[in-house]
Formats: sequence, C-alpha cells, structure tokens
Amino acid sequence: MNSSMIEFRAVSKWYGSFQVLKRCSTRVDKGQVVVVCGPSGSGKSTLIKCVNGLEPFQEGEIIVNAESVGAKGTNLSRLRSKIGMVFQHFELFPHMSVTENLNLAQVKVLGRSREEATTKSMALLKRVGLEAHAKKYPGELSGGQQQRVAIARGLAMDPIAMLFDEPTSALDPEMINEVLDVMVELAQEGMTMMVVTHEMGFARKVAHRVVFMDNGEIVEDAATEEFFGSPRSDRAQLFLSKILQH
Amino acid sequence: MRYNWDWSIYFQRASDGSGTWLHYLFVGLAWTLATALAAWVIALVVGSIVGTLRTTPSKWIVRLGNAYVEIFRNIPLLVQMFLWFFVLPELLPKGLGDAVKQIPPPWGSYLPAVLSLGIYTSVRVAEQVRAGIQSLPRGQRMAGTALGLTLPQNYRFVLLPMAFRIILPPLTSEFLNIIKNSSVALTIGLLELTGRARAMQEFSFKVFEAFAAATVIYLVTNMIVVVLMRALERRVRVPGFIGTTAKAPQAGH
Repeated sequence: MNSSMIEFRAVSKWYGSFQVLKRCSTRVDKGQVVVVCGPSGSGKSTLIKCVNGLEPFQEGEIIVNAESVGAKGTNLSRLRSKIGMVFQHFELFPHMSVTENLNLAQVKVLGRSREEATTKSMALLKRVGLEAHAKKYPGELSGGQQQRVAIARGLAMDPIAMLFDEPTSALDPEMINEVLDVMVELAQEGMTMMVVTHEMGFARKVAHRVVFMDNGEIVEDAATEEFFGSPRSDRAQLFLSKILQH
Repeated sequence: MRYNWDWSIYFQRASDGSGTWLHYLFVGLAWTLATALAAWVIALVVGSIVGTLRTTPSKWIVRLGNAYVEIFRNIPLLVQMFLWFFVLPELLPKGLGDAVKQIPPPWGSYLPAVLSLGIYTSVRVAEQVRAGIQSLPRGQRMAGTALGLTLPQNYRFVLLPMAFRIILPPLTSEFLNIIKNSSVALTIGLLELTGRARAMQEFSFKVFEAFAAATVIYLVTNMIVVVLMRALERRVRVPGFIGTTAKAPQAGH
C-alpha cells in the first residue's frame, strides 16, 4: 500500500572488531513516523546516522527514495540536502544569526537567492513560534528554542524525510514539550520521520511503528499499539517496564 | 655602575649620513615591520591551508601536512634563515643560483628573511588552526554535512569562522612573535631595528642609549598590535557564545 522512503537491508557496521550494527533491516514508509528506541549503546544513533551517510557501514544496503546510500555513484551531498536532520545538541552554527542558520544551505546547496531563502526562513520561524528571534544568535536562545530553530533549519530544505537523533535528550524538562509539539504537528502533516527518542508518550501519540534495538540488533519492529500492548521479546518488555514506571 | 647617559645622541647625525640616529632607528623599525608583515601574510595563508588540510578525512593529505609541520617546526629559526640565505642559492641550478646571489641589498637579505620567517611561523599557525578546528564539537561538522554542504563549503562557512575566532588570542601571540623574531634577520645582513641598534652602538659607542631606544620601540609597537588584536576580537565576538565576553548567555527566556 505504502511506498518505502527509507529501507534498511541487513545493514552491518563495525568499529574495528566491534560490531555496532548487526544485520539491521527495517523500513520507513512515505508519510510514516517510525520511533527507534532502546537502551543507550544499542546502536540507535548509529543506525539513524547511516541513513544520510554520516556514518559509513560495511555490509548491507540502505535505500533512500530509490537511491542506494552506500553506492559509489550516489551523489551524497544532494541526497543529504533532501533529508533534514536534527541532533541531540542542536548543532546550530553559533557565529550566524538564526535567519543565517536557516539560509545557509538554502543558498549554498539549493542555489536559492538570499531573498527567496529569507522569505522561506521567516515563514518557518513563524511556524515554530520564533519569528521574534530571527536576528538573534543561537547562544542567546534557550535549548528548546535552539532545537526548534534546528528543526526549522531542516525543514527549510523542503526535505522528503526528517531524521531526529534524540532531539529532546539534552533539554531541560520544561522545554521538552515545546519541541515535541512541533514534531507532533509535523507528523500530523504527513512528514516522513525517523525518530530516535525515549519519549514514549510521543511514540504512542504519533508513531506508526516502533523499532526496539538492543546490542546493535533490531529486536522488535512492530506497529505502535502492538509494541506497547504486547511486546513479544523479553528485552523489550524489560525496557518498557523500566521506562514506563515513572 | 657609572655611566654617562647622553640622550642627545638620538639627535646627532648618524654615521651613514642619512639623518639623526633616531631617524636611523625608525628606518630600522620600518624594515622590521616590512619583514614581519610580509612574513605574517605567508604564515597566515600557508598556515591556514596546512592546518585545515590536517583535519580533512584524507589520510595522505594529513600525513603530508604533518611532515611539513614537523620539518619546519623542529629546525631553529636561525638555521632556517641560514639555509634560505646561504644554502638555497647553491642548490639551485647555477644560473638561477647566481642570479639569487646578485639580488642587490637589502633585498638579497630581505627576501630570504621573509621566506624563512613566514614558513617558520606558518607551522605554528597551522598548529593553532588545527587545534581550533578540532576544538569544535564533532556535531558541527555533521550538521554542515547533513545539510548537503560539500567539504570545502563546510570548512568555509561552518568550521573555519568559529575556529579562527577561538584561536584569535594565540594568533595574537604569533603575530607578536613574528615581529620579535624578525630581529634574527640581522644575522643575514638585514638592517632592521635590532641590526640598526647594534650599528648605532658600534659607531657611537652609546650601547645603553641604542638598546634602550630599540627596547622602547619594540615594546610600543607590540602593545599597539595587542590593542588592535583586542579590538578585532571584540569586533568578531559571537553574541551569547561562551568564552568571548563576560556576558553570560541568556538561556531560558
């Protein structure tokens, strides 16, 4: 029914002799939200960074929008520009104003004019509720505001999918919701999203599927209701019982 | 110690007949600055390129950069200046070597002085630039890459602007060093400030006055450089970025 946007086919990755990803296979369909969770060190961040080639992998294949990420002929720069990415520590460029952060890749990668880029940036800043901060620098914003700018920066490229690598893990608790709200809205608009997170409330609310990883393996890959209702594996059950207790 | 200071010496005629001793020393300062500034351009350009290359993903380029740094960092400046001045012309093909030897003074000393000082300092700049880039969070490079920027674009727009801001204070030290180190050029016959102070002492027998003047001129020149570099630091300050001013980032508003 759905066509696949991101597909992992038996992806394996090693750091030296240590295997961080073990034959991982899963997919994110167009318009779907897939949440990846699991204990720290389980390889979730590594997995998501393989999607746009930030981390190389040695075996298997990742197909993004019908292009193979690891293949020799693939123009990685162009592919990356179509996939938005949000990092745990925001990674805004501190020496640029908020608007310049959003404009940079629009102008340098997509070749938009500065005016065109600024119009787009302002519209997106308005959407994440930060148009009043357009001229400020990242260091003058709170963590939650910075992360919303980072999301807007990704959206400015008109991406076909968005990757989120623990977007709320570095935030103070009172700022988590302002970021999650933006993400929920994005999901409801039909954006294809792959989200590494521990926010199970978010997963329940918008995820179509939940992927559970442990020790570099995809242990469970199930529809959201199924995952929370009756996880099949012991490891997922244990993880859920720990994370949902409080 | 008994010494008859004679401050009027500065206003007496210099032995080369060009003017007063004070004028003679200031011409020396002009040569010091001409040497240091030209060398600083070489040091900045070459140092930035080599330092940047040493942080690229290519193993061979990194090794090449490392070799360059280790060669020019581990030979004393004085020896390097002698190599450029005495040895290089002998290694060149005969015609070219002879042409180099016949460059009229002071250019015959000035050029090797600028080259040796520039390259010697470029290695130190390269180390600063490399350290500056490596001090940035790894995620900065990733964020640039993830947006689709090419490697050169990532350096040009994301990594280097911050790296240079971070290393401005140590770069100031290198700038001061290059002005002070230009005095080594007197050994290959360049009459810069120190060379002229020595000549003044030899011809007028006023050793204290000669070097007192040189000391003050160096001190004032370098203090001006410090003030200018501080102004530059303030100018390129990143609002809210920690470590650039006393003003703490306004988080939580």
